[in-house]
Amino acid sequence: MKYALFLGCKIPSQLPAYEASTRAVLGHLGVTLVDLRFDCCGYPARSYSRDAFVVAAARNLALAERAGLDLLTPCSCCFGSLRHAIRFLSEDAELRARVAQTLAAEGLTWSGSIGVEHLLPLLAREVGVAALAAAVRVPRSGLRVAAQYGCHALRPSDVSGIDNPIAPTMFETLIRVTGATPVDWPRRLDCCGDPLHEANAPLAGHMTRAKITDALESGAQALCSACPHCQLRFDAVQAGSTDPAIQTLLYTQLLGLALGLPAKSLGL
Amino acid sequence: MSTALFHPALYASLALCALGLAWRMSAWFRVRVGPDACTVTPWQRMVAALRGVAVALFGRRLFRVLGALVLDALLLRRLYANAKLRWLGHQLILVGFTLLLLMHALAALVSEKLFQGYQPTLEPYLFLRNLFGVMVLVGVGLLWFGRRRERSGFAQARAFLGAAFVALLGFVLVSGFLLEAHKIASPRAFYRMTEQYAGTTDAEQLKPLRALWASEFGVAFADLQQPIAADLVERGRELQRDACASCHAKPASAFVSYPLARLLAPVTGLMDAAGADTWLWYLHVFACLLGLASLPFTRFFHVLAAPISLLVDAAAPQRALSAQPYAIEARASQRALALDACVRCGICDERCSVALLARYLGNPDLLPSHKLIATGALAKGRLLRSGEEEHALRAAEGAFLCTDCGRCTSRCPVGLDLEDLWQAGRGDLAVAGLAPPAQWVQARPALAWAESLEAVPRQHGLAAPDAAFAPLSADRRSFSRCVQCQTCTNVCPVVAHSTDAEHGIDLTPQKVMNLLRLGLSDLALGSRMVWDCASCYQCQESCPEGVRVADIIYELRALAVRRLGSVRSRRQAA
Ligand code: SF4
Ligand code: SF4
Ligand code: SF4
Ligand code: SF4
Repeated sequence: MKYALFLGCKIPSQLPAYEASTRAVLGHLGVTLVDLRFDCCGYPARSYSRDAFVVAAARNLALAERAGLDLLTPCSCCFGSLRHAIRFLSEDAELRARVAQTLAAEGLTWSGSIGVEHLLPLLAREVGVAALAAAVRVPRSGLRVAAQYGCHALRPSDVSGIDNPIAPTMFETLIRVTGATPVDWPRRLDCCGDPLHEANAPLAGHMTRAKITDALESGAQALCSACPHCQLRFDAVQAGSTDPAIQTLLYTQLLGLALGLPAKSLGL
Repeated sequence: MSTALFHPALYASLALCALGLAWRMSAWFRVRVGPDACTVTPWQRMVAALRGVAVALFGRRLFRVLGALVLDALLLRRLYANAKLRWLGHQLILVGFTLLLLMHALAALVSEKLFQGYQPTLEPYLFLRNLFGVMVLVGVGLLWFGRRRERSGFAQARAFLGAAFVALLGFVLVSGFLLEAHKIASPRAFYRMTEQYAGTTDAEQLKPLRALWASEFGVAFADLQQPIAADLVERGRELQRDACASCHAKPASAFVSYPLARLLAPVTGLMDAAGADTWLWYLHVFACLLGLASLPFTRFFHVLAAPISLLVDAAAPQRALSAQPYAIEARASQRALALDACVRCGICDERCSVALLARYLGNPDLLPSHKLIATGALAKGRLLRSGEEEHALRAAEGAFLCTDCGRCTSRCPVGLDLEDLWQAGRGDLAVAGLAPPAQWVQARPALAWAESLEAVPRQHGLAAPDAAFAPLSADRRSFSRCVQCQTCTNVCPVVAHSTDAEHGIDLTPQKVMNLLRLGLSDLALGSRMVWDCASCYQCQESCPEGVRVADIIYELRALAVRRLGSVRSRRQAA
């Protein structure tokens, strides 16, 4: 198991704990991570120009292709962006030609030979739930956890779906394997509100708050994310508020604790 | 040689330099970057700075500050970490120039006080002067080379003034070497010295000395018979020992000027006749004074601002985005200081996450080194002058496409808190009416935009690029299947949370699709629904007809940026 690790922009600068815990956990599980000189996944450019978005994403894909490695990302939004870029490139020959021209300036090509994988399915399928269960040393028994997939990991299912988009179970399975108990919460597939922050902060605030309230009312003690945007969003909304708060936890931190890794190596 | 103009010129340049420095440094308290910087007065900022200096000098952080002085400001460790070649170039210039300044330019204040019997024409000063000069020249070459290797694809921002100043520095060095070479080769200088120090003008008496200086000191006498008799040279050597040696060594160790003097020999007579020693001296000295006077007004003001910024950073290490950002009084000054401390090295650009987009979109203002200048220009009001509209829009695009990845901050050799600057700049842009598209589009109702669009005749050819640009919304087949079942609307979390009228949406996803079906996409471009979409893909996932609702909404945004953007700049220009 060897992947080019695509961290995106948010994790290194604003959520270094996610990088640390991802490296610690995957290293422990025998997944080799290679660092390439990746840049922006293209996501912020998508509202400006589809071409610019695809060009930015394609450069990363081409870098991984040159290294002969599949991409692995712990960010649901980067995941969605890169997968969308592959879809646009595959269905639009003219776009492909324009992008190829830009990539050629750097001596890069995109042929579609490499894939883009999300952290959750890597753990659930490639590493495998059984192997995870065998590796757990300190089960997190008694902890009730609400799973936050991140929209772009699930939808649209024909592009990025890592699991059934209507009734996914993957994250819950991964929580169960740590010994913790996944809670069923009505708003679990709702958007965290982050992409809306710039356009409409009050509405975005409602959306985030509704999720937090829902998780609390469903009996969760922790909100567990597999996307930096969700995690940062929950933290940002809770930071300036006196409303009831919930602990936020990255999945790699939860798993790392269960594997018996030192809390410090997980950024805790 | 008359040097009558020297002192007036010196005082004038010193005065200009001092005034320039005062003006530039006052900007650290005057210039307001970021809306929050407008909440404090320059006076408050000055007081905060003074307090900060006191805390740094007498507090626990003194050692940190001293460490930063040595490691960051003098040894430039941050530059070393990211660009070894340029670090070498920079150190050569820094050391060479400083030593030239102390030993040579300020000889009366430094060398003559420190070294007994200092004479510029003695060893090791002859050699050292050449060495330092060559260090600077090699350093300039390395920096130039290092810069060329890094290709951002864009001309460096405000390159002209910087290049002019480097040319001036080169001129100072070259004219210095020429002056020294000419003085070595000049018979006239020889006669002046013999008259002054040996007290004789008698040709017969000077004959041995002439022989020696011609053969070993590089003087280019035009009237000397060759070959020179060896015994004459030996007699000259005795004379030299008694009369000249105390202040004149053989110039051969001046490893640049001496060969240059030999090269100049054929024209030395002409140069002497033209009074070259005077005008070369004037050129050299006046170039130095011009450099002194103009330093505060070029980007080389960083020789002062960058070390100060590094020391301030060591004294107040909290970053703006950290858990406990420091007070705005201090931060406002630090932002203004950052504008001056940037050395325009472009190292931040090399790993910028959106560097590729900058090239692709042809917009240099996506790159941090350019963005820093644009941020300053906006804060100083320059970006809002008429004629700058295009640039202002480019700056806004750059500011809002930045991903806040922080790589520029972590690479900057001056340790600037660029993320804080970007955030402040975005605030300034919003205040200036240059908000991100999601905000400027929503500032007007969709209907108003549609009317404005109608007022502008649709340019020929706009339809064609749209098809490439937004293929789904240009292709009727992608939305004609919509049966208006409202499933998309029912699952949309934005619709569900839109309870109050003020922040709510105007259309629903289903209505947006309907507008497309009716050929009224102009009405959708400016709608709140399009811009408030959270891209959660619930609609697209649930649509029974397989309409790519969210993908289409993304396309509509990109179309709106282009089409409404052109209407908007027209409105602004009007
Ligand atoms: S923070 Fe912005 S300007 Fe700086 S490197 Fe990242 S994308 Fe570029
Ligand atoms: S911001 Fe820093 S890295 Fe960028 S050009 Fe200025 S000094 Fe160099
Ligand atoms: S769900 Fe699909 S078919 Fe139904 S209204 Fe929305 S776009 Fe049309
Ligand atoms: S993608 Fe946008 S329009 Fe579709 S359901 Fe989500 S928020 Fe609503």
